[in-house]
Amino acid sequence: MAKDKKQIRIALRNCGFINPENIDEYIARDGYQALGKALEMTPEEVIDEIKKSGLRGRGGGGFPTGLKWELTRKVEAEQKYVVCNADEGDPGAFMDRSILEGDPHTVLEAMAINGYCTGASKGLIYIRAEYPLAIERLKIAIGQAREYGLLGDKIFGKDFSFDIELRYGAGAFVCGEETALIHSMEGLRGEPTVKPPFPSESGYKGAPTNVNNVETYANIPVILLKGSGWFASIGTEKSKGTKVFALAGKVNNVGLIEVPMGTTLREVIFDIGGGIKSGKKFKAVQTGGPSGGCLTEKHLDIPIDYDNLIASGSMMGSGGMIVMDEDDCMVSVAKFYLDFTVEESCGKCAPCRLGNKRLYEILDTITQGKGTEDDLFKLRNLGNVIKDTSLCGLGQTSPNPVLSTMENFYDEYLAHVKDHKCPAGQCKALMSYIINPDACVGCTLCARVCPVDAISGEKKMPHVIDQSICIKCGACFEKCKFGAIFIE
Amino acid sequence: MKTIYINNNKYNFEGEPTILEVVREKAGDIIPVICHHNTLEPHGSCRICSVDVALQKDGPRKVMASCHTPASDGMHIFTDSERVVKLRKNIAELVLSDYPEDKTEAAKNKLPTEFQRLLERLGVYKTRYNAKETHTDQEKDTLHPYIKSDLSQCIRCYRCVRACDEIQGKFILNIYGRGYDNRIIKDSDSSFTDSECVSCGACVQACPTGAIYDLYESKIQPYDKIVHTVCTYCGVGCNLEVRVKDGKIMGIEAPDDAEVNAAHTCIKGRYAFEFYNHPDRLTTPLIKKNGRQVPVSWDEAYDHIANKLNKIKEQYGPDAIGGISSSRCTNEENYLMQKFMRAVVGTNNIDGCARVCHAPTAYGMQKAFGTGAATNSITDLEHTDCILVIGANPTSAHPVTGSKIKQQAMKGKTLIVIDPVKTELAEIADYHLQLRPGTNIALLNMFAYYLIKNDLLDHEFIKNRTTGFEEFKEQILKVNIDEYERITTVDKHLVEKAAEAFAKAGNAMSFHGLGVTEHYTGSRTVMLLANISMFTGNIGRKGVGVNPLRGQNNVQGAADMGVQPHQGAGYLDVNDPEIQKYYKEKYGIETIPEKEGLKIPEMFDGAINKTVKAMWIMGEDVMQTDPNTQHVRKALEGLDFLVVQELFPTETSKMADVVLPAASFFEKEGTFTNGERRIQKVNKVVEPIEGTKADGQIMVDIMNRMGYPQKGYSADVLLREIADVVPFFAGVTWENLGTNGLQWPVTKDGKDTKILHSKEFKIGKGQIHFFDFEETPELIDNRDKYPFILTTGRNLEHYNSGTMTRRTPNKDVLTEDNLWINPADAKKKGIKTGDRVRLISARGETYIKAFVTDKVKEGVLRSTFHFPEVSINNLTGDIGDIETLTPEYKVVAVDVVAGG
Repeated sequence: MAKDKKQIRIALRNCGFINPENIDEYIARDGYQALGKALEMTPEEVIDEIKKSGLRGRGGGGFPTGLKWELTRKVEAEQKYVVCNADEGDPGAFMDRSILEGDPHTVLEAMAINGYCTGASKGLIYIRAEYPLAIERLKIAIGQAREYGLLGDKIFGKDFSFDIELRYGAGAFVCGEETALIHSMEGLRGEPTVKPPFPSESGYKGAPTNVNNVETYANIPVILLKGSGWFASIGTEKSKGTKVFALAGKVNNVGLIEVPMGTTLREVIFDIGGGIKSGKKFKAVQTGGPSGGCLTEKHLDIPIDYDNLIASGSMMGSGGMIVMDEDDCMVSVAKFYLDFTVEESCGKCAPCRLGNKRLYEILDTITQGKGTEDDLFKLRNLGNVIKDTSLCGLGQTSPNPVLSTMENFYDEYLAHVKDHKCPAGQCKALMSYIINPDACVGCTLCARVCPVDAISGEKKMPHVIDQSICIKCGACFEKCKFGAIFIE
Repeated sequence: MKTIYINNNKYNFEGEPTILEVVREKAGDIIPVICHHNTLEPHGSCRICSVDVALQKDGPRKVMASCHTPASDGMHIFTDSERVVKLRKNIAELVLSDYPEDKTEAAKNKLPTEFQRLLERLGVYKTRYNAKETHTDQEKDTLHPYIKSDLSQCIRCYRCVRACDEIQGKFILNIYGRGYDNRIIKDSDSSFTDSECVSCGACVQACPTGAIYDLYESKIQPYDKIVHTVCTYCGVGCNLEVRVKDGKIMGIEAPDDAEVNAAHTCIKGRYAFEFYNHPDRLTTPLIKKNGRQVPVSWDEAYDHIANKLNKIKEQYGPDAIGGISSSRCTNEENYLMQKFMRAVVGTNNIDGCARVCHAPTAYGMQKAFGTGAATNSITDLEHTDCILVIGANPTSAHPVTGSKIKQQAMKGKTLIVIDPVKTELAEIADYHLQLRPGTNIALLNMFAYYLIKNDLLDHEFIKNRTTGFEEFKEQILKVNIDEYERITTVDKHLVEKAAEAFAKAGNAMSFHGLGVTEHYTGSRTVMLLANISMFTGNIGRKGVGVNPLRGQNNVQGAADMGVQPHQGAGYLDVNDPEIQKYYKEKYGIETIPEKEGLKIPEMFDGAINKTVKAMWIMGEDVMQTDPNTQHVRKALEGLDFLVVQELFPTETSKMADVVLPAASFFEKEGTFTNGERRIQKVNKVVEPIEGTKADGQIMVDIMNRMGYPQKGYSADVLLREIADVVPFFAGVTWENLGTNGLQWPVTKDGKDTKILHSKEFKIGKGQIHFFDFEETPELIDNRDKYPFILTTGRNLEHYNSGTMTRRTPNKDVLTEDNLWINPADAKKKGIKTGDRVRLISARGETYIKAFVTDKVKEGVLRSTFHFPEVSINNLTGDIGDIETLTPEYKVVAVDVVAGG
């Protein structure tokens, strides 16, 4: 946990404070009281409370949670399901895992409340198999809750029965998309399908299904206990409550933070994050994971909420936040994210399957120093095609890193294709190691470490690097004791 | 009524269509698509069909895929805005970035593929997005006799995978891997040959490129014309679109809009057509002279036949002559054949191959309901909640219907299978009642017992629409259910549960096949099956009824046309004086035979007893398909005169005095009536092979030669005559049959009937009959010496005696008959899969390859009869259905011995 200044813990309220393997400790901190309270209310009243709180989906979509519950409630069916989406897949994001590992009962309690509201008697947690500790703790928690009669038949003696099972995912990013998640749970290919029908009408095994993310669930018990008014008093006009971010990259304090909606990026990065490492200059921050975008200096004072981030060309996503400094090459950053998207595309729709691969290849060409200005046109064009036409959220947002870096750092792209230079000095193919003859004393060390014999020169005479042979490994640069080798 | 604006033009629409559906209906084919196909669920993967959508006039526009986005009231759709045109081109370019450069236009002398046509429509031939990494170097898979793949051309539209899933239901084609490197695989990445592929070709038809194609490259062959006709193989009645060039068949596809078989056929319908110009075809009439069949002219053959028949008639009377018509032939030809026998020869000795298959259905259903035909339509499967399949293996014998049943079962509808064999449907059934062959009566009585005992009845229906219920109830409550359990070998609790599921389903529909009819108690089983539908009120509306899966393409029609010894055209009793008068008038003759004629087995017995002197067999190889081959041989040898009309030399034609070369269904016109009473047009695809004539033309010729003035063979003219004679054909004309046909009864004004008995039965009330179980004499007499029960059936790849399918590449897909034997029995007998074993019955013996499988229970063996090398009917016996004499192919007492 990063510094506590400006933070409010709602979703993470119990993490680190209780023994997650002991239900009594959860109960001691008001655990399962919200469920008890909900069961005294009508489902409609509970849904109304959630609606009034203004809680929106924390998985990234930001869909109003109360409304989602209401949609599932309204569909008549003998069997319904509530699902917890614990397929946390954004690189660097681990808030769901922390909640599951640190406070598993809050998710179980919230799912039971959800089941009561939507009319489902069965809950499923779709969790990636790479989270063994979270799985273990969930199993323990489910066992204890059953033992205490908090799951199972006639909970709190009421005419409400609810139980939860785990379903394991194999770690495909796209399975965080709810239709793909449902297919994966059904044993089918983890591929999104067209909507409608929405899961609220036809989801798991064709039954009405309500899918919410872990962090969303973690907010539910608190809202019911402290009231929707309290919750709605935190945050901005359209984004209420707090959001957990996984702060990473070139900041001094990294880790999970939970801040009220409306906190600015500046507060997050400079106050909570303690500023940029090694006194370097802030360059950009990627929010929203691989589907998000890069924001810059000019966005630092925008209050963070769902709508502002989208308006700025990025998104909330599940709360990944990676800070970059002046040494980061934005073309390489975009390429890094595209590499991830290409790997994680399910391959169903043509724009995502083919388009992202081509985007990646063009970015690769540019970082190899072989790009042209026409490539920049293709990047933007293709990015928009993918965004406009892809089938699911993964595809529709996958070009964001490219489009937003082009928007904010076009000069850097131009430098790569026109001058064949990488201003940040990250693209190896665009760098040259050069020996400053004035500083070189001819010690021959560089020539001896060069693995490809690209360096020649007489002893005690300035040496020269043959650029046609050099593989830019940087060994000479590291070894030179006289600072005679520089990068251009 | 909702409103939609398509490119600023206002239209009204109803229901819940997608944008694509509305646009196509209102404005035509103005949105290009590639992954979408009308016969498949929307998939939304290619995104080519994207359109601009605004929810209100001048509102913000969003790009949406039209194929899966529902149209909503007040939407404004822009199908060719600058943005979407650009997007489509870009997507096409992306697709081309991983597609062979030399395949963007049609191959030389071939038609363009659907994808090539799309590229032309979009004006995209090249891509700006050059790929560093492509998948255009995939290995071809060409070993399968029909279906091939060149996945270098695959554009990942997944139509093939979806066709395999949604149409055929085999799940052979799959997607392997993820993202850019995903690809289509067969089973667990094998080949078409090594996979469980059933060669239906739905994937071939669905593929928009050359990635999956067939031996004939059917879809890109240039053609002179496409002829719409109806398949000749089974009673499903699949529509076919046949491509013809220079008088030759180039390939076959299924029409996307066929009511019977949208975009689907089986391996036989789509691919097994090469028999039609096979060198073995008979091309000249033959007369047996000095023991050898020698070629003669048609005139000589006709004269010879007329002379011989007239002489026999003179000497022994017309009843010394018998005719067997063919359910493979058209209605018109069957009508002519029976008319020839009755009006020209003067005998009711006319029967057809229904005798060896569904005669008990016609008889039993007439007894129960008054009409011997399917009560409902196959499309009713979409409206049913429970499907009962008894004694039928439709995924092999009626593959297109079999797939439809499987699809519904996979959608969660209850499926009950009553069959001694673990069929493909039994594998996925909710209840498989795997009874011992020959015990249908006991099992259906158990079923009825639980319906009554547990009060799972529709009392209203029973009271208002049936008679005989109380008597039945009294009898059934007396039966010993534990004894039935022992006889059938089926757990009574399982039967109870199945009966409950059937009764509580809402709409329950039954299908039955030859496993019901080809038994000692076949007709009775049909009546009991009718009972359970009546008890539960499952008659007379959509999604219910009793539905025989008719075996041959026109077995329904042959009986309708009067190919039965006891009823003339239109099921009118021949011994009724009123009816006799009716026929005399219609046929314009003075005398008509008055007593019922002989059934096929009676004709054979007559031939052996010398009371039958001559027979005329149209298109049936009785030597291979009728039971007890040695008995049939003796009968045919006992005749003075045998005429056979055939496509190919067969075991039967070899014994004929005169062989007449007939034309195949590709070479003539007429109508077939499928198993759901649907009369469909058979159109002439190619000219008859030189030297052959349509069977109908042969009948017309001989009728005239023997002094009866019959107009020339033309479907149009004959249908008018039939409509005049057969009451339920009253409104049928060649023109109004259209492309999807009409289901009889067709009233004078041309209206057809999808569902029978909706208000009342033809005979007033439905008749409920009770029959107790009776063991077949076949087992009583023979089981001590022959302890196994052999039951025969069909495989997908071949049709009955295989005369046609063995003359197509189907012979390379399935090469031989084999014998299924339970592993426990195999162990006891020392038999392994692949061993040649000796199979013996009281009639004879044969040798066959064994296949060890738990698909049959201990004590039960199963084989097919497609290959003359095995000739399984050497073993089958003389026992037939008590009422109709239909042979008991399904229960044969045999023994099996290891070692050939």
